[in-house]
Amino acid sequence: MLVMRPAQMADLAEVQRLAADSPVGVTSLPDDSERLREKIAASEASFAAEVSFNGEESYFFVLEDSESGRLVGCSGIVASAGYSEPFYSFRNETFVHNSRELKIHNKIHVLSLCHDLTGNSLLTSFYVERALVDTAWSELNSRGRLLFVASHPERFADAVVVEIVGHSDEAGDSPFWDAVGRNFFDMNYAEAERLCGLKSRTFLAELMPHYPIYVPLLPDEAQEAMGQVHPRAQISFDILMREGFETDHYIDIFDGGPTLHARTSGIRSIAQSRVVPVRIGEPGKGGRQYLVSNGQLQDYRAIVADLDWVPGKPVTLSLAAAEALGVGEGVSVRLVAV
Amino acid sequence: MIVRPVRSADLPALLELARSTGAGLTTLPANEERLAHRVGWAEKTFRGDAERADADYLFVLENDEGQVVGISAVAGAVGLREPWYNYRVGLTVSASQELNIHRQIPTLFLANDLTGNSELCSLFLHADYRTGLNGRLLSKARFLFIAEFRELFGDKVIAEMRGMSDANGRSPFWESLGRHFFKMEFSTADYLTGVGNKAFIAELMPKFPLYTCFLSEDARSVIGRVHPDTEPALAMLKAEGFSYQGYVDIFDAGPAIEAQTDKIRAVHDSQNLILAIGTPGDDASAFLIHNRKREDCRITAAPARMAAGSLVVDALTAKRLQLNAGDQVRAVALSARG
Repeated sequence: MLVMRPAQMADLAEVQRLAADSPVGVTSLPDDSERLREKIAASEASFAAEVSFNGEESYFFVLEDSESGRLVGCSGIVASAGYSEPFYSFRNETFVHNSRELKIHNKIHVLSLCHDLTGNSLLTSFYVERALVDTAWSELNSRGRLLFVASHPERFADAVVVEIVGHSDEAGDSPFWDAVGRNFFDMNYAEAERLCGLKSRTFLAELMPHYPIYVPLLPDEAQEAMGQVHPRAQISFDILMREGFETDHYIDIFDGGPTLHARTSGIRSIAQSRVVPVRIGEPGKGGRQYLVSNGQLQDYRAIVADLDWVPGKPVTLSLAAAEALGVGEGVSVRLVAV
Repeated sequence: MIVRPVRSADLPALLELARSTGAGLTTLPANEERLAHRVGWAEKTFRGDAERADADYLFVLENDEGQVVGISAVAGAVGLREPWYNYRVGLTVSASQELNIHRQIPTLFLANDLTGNSELCSLFLHADYRTGLNGRLLSKARFLFIAEFRELFGDKVIAEMRGMSDANGRSPFWESLGRHFFKMEFSTADYLTGVGNKAFIAELMPKFPLYTCFLSEDARSVIGRVHPDTEPALAMLKAEGFSYQGYVDIFDAGPAIEAQTDKIRAVHDSQNLILAIGTPGDDASAFLIHNRKREDCRITAAPARMAAGSLVVDALTAKRLQLNAGDQVRAVALSARG
């Protein structure tokens, strides 16, 4: 059974294996054991901390095959984007340049460097093994985080954002980067993203153009890349779009990938999940797939289960599912349909 | 040849000239109504009935047969009635010692910095007369006039030099920048500014600074460069003390050069002398000579010799100036001494 749980230091080697396979651009998963060690340590401290409002915490989850102990996915949430350093995005803006006399009415698309999304909670570090793409396990790996948010709202902001990796080609080059960032850094996209992972994104963001960029001046390839999703990030994008995240307002300053955002309370898995008492027994036939979490903190667990659940009634979990979640009869779980 | 103020009778000749200029001379549009209006203003200006903000000193070059073969003008002040735009070519540095990055990105700032200065403009000499002293006379006559009536002009004189365009009149700078905002041909935009329709610039131009890295390589390479046909004019003004201080035209990026009025060689070195008629002799050199009049201003270039507070010229020169021996003149060597 695949179980989502908080990462532990013992997972380091496995996590690095996942990080090495994640696409360039997922800078929250650097293939660097020291950075990953810090990441896991910060997560352990965050799960352990008593928190009454969102601050510097970052939560990092892994998806584990409970039989083999092998990790097949991971994901994270940063409680507050830009908590210790500025969080940069490009905001899509439209200026109208109008001349009544000449009968010219131009809508000019402009990208403005901004810190608008500072303080929002940030979904990060999404990775699943390719075999799991388009399965319920991908949903678990992503939305298990949202169930965690639902159970611990005091730990998160009123809005959630996520930066989706943008388009880059097989050679690792990003047309958006080549047209924009490269001018200011004189290095290729992969190198810049590698530095972002090792140093910090802010470090580089501070070298980015601070005046707005007039989009019509960018080459066509760069304009087309704006808001485009990297093929390997499509799964993450699709899941969150179904959750009610909105696109179009912000893009990533490096690769032009879309930055999604949503009101926390309006996210589907948060708004529609239910807290239900558990019975242990034989789940009925003809049920459907649910994401089920135990709502805990350091012992947080979430799984996918086939359930025949009637709203308003307790839910019947198999013994294996109950054990994987670490729950017994009478304890409540949070569940939402896949 | 003499330079004198324009008169309404010159209108047909001016229209002829305007039609032969092609694109690039914004202050001499081939539009009869506009030209008539302009000549009217110039007459008013020379009479002393125009404020400096509106003053338009439009001169013509006339041969001994009374035929108009060229024009030149000085505007009392630019930008006091309608905004005067230039780009200031500034610099943005993107630097990080730690990352070993140092990028210098020329950046264009839309500016009204040259507001209030006097402007040399509308220089055009018929192709058949681009010989001998004609070009220098037509251009530099303005300096003697400025020296004589210094209070009518600003503390700085500027000149916008025609920028680079190809044989078809296509400006690479316009193609890369202006076209996106104006959605019209360079020649149309050029014409519209020439006929005094400047409001549309403010309405349609980008207001934020422009990183030149977002322009085409062709466009970047012509910033601050003059059209090859304008090289001689540029060299002549530089010899008079004009220099490029980083301001360029917003349409074709040709340089706007400038000089402190009192430091322009032909202004600074000019002197009041008594006219003597005789034989200038073998050691005579070319002088620019002004009859010190405003409405009846006549300026010519001729071989002359200075001798004890007087300027010796031949009888024909005196006749061209409509002066007699003993009258006062303002004169300066036509060119700086090598």
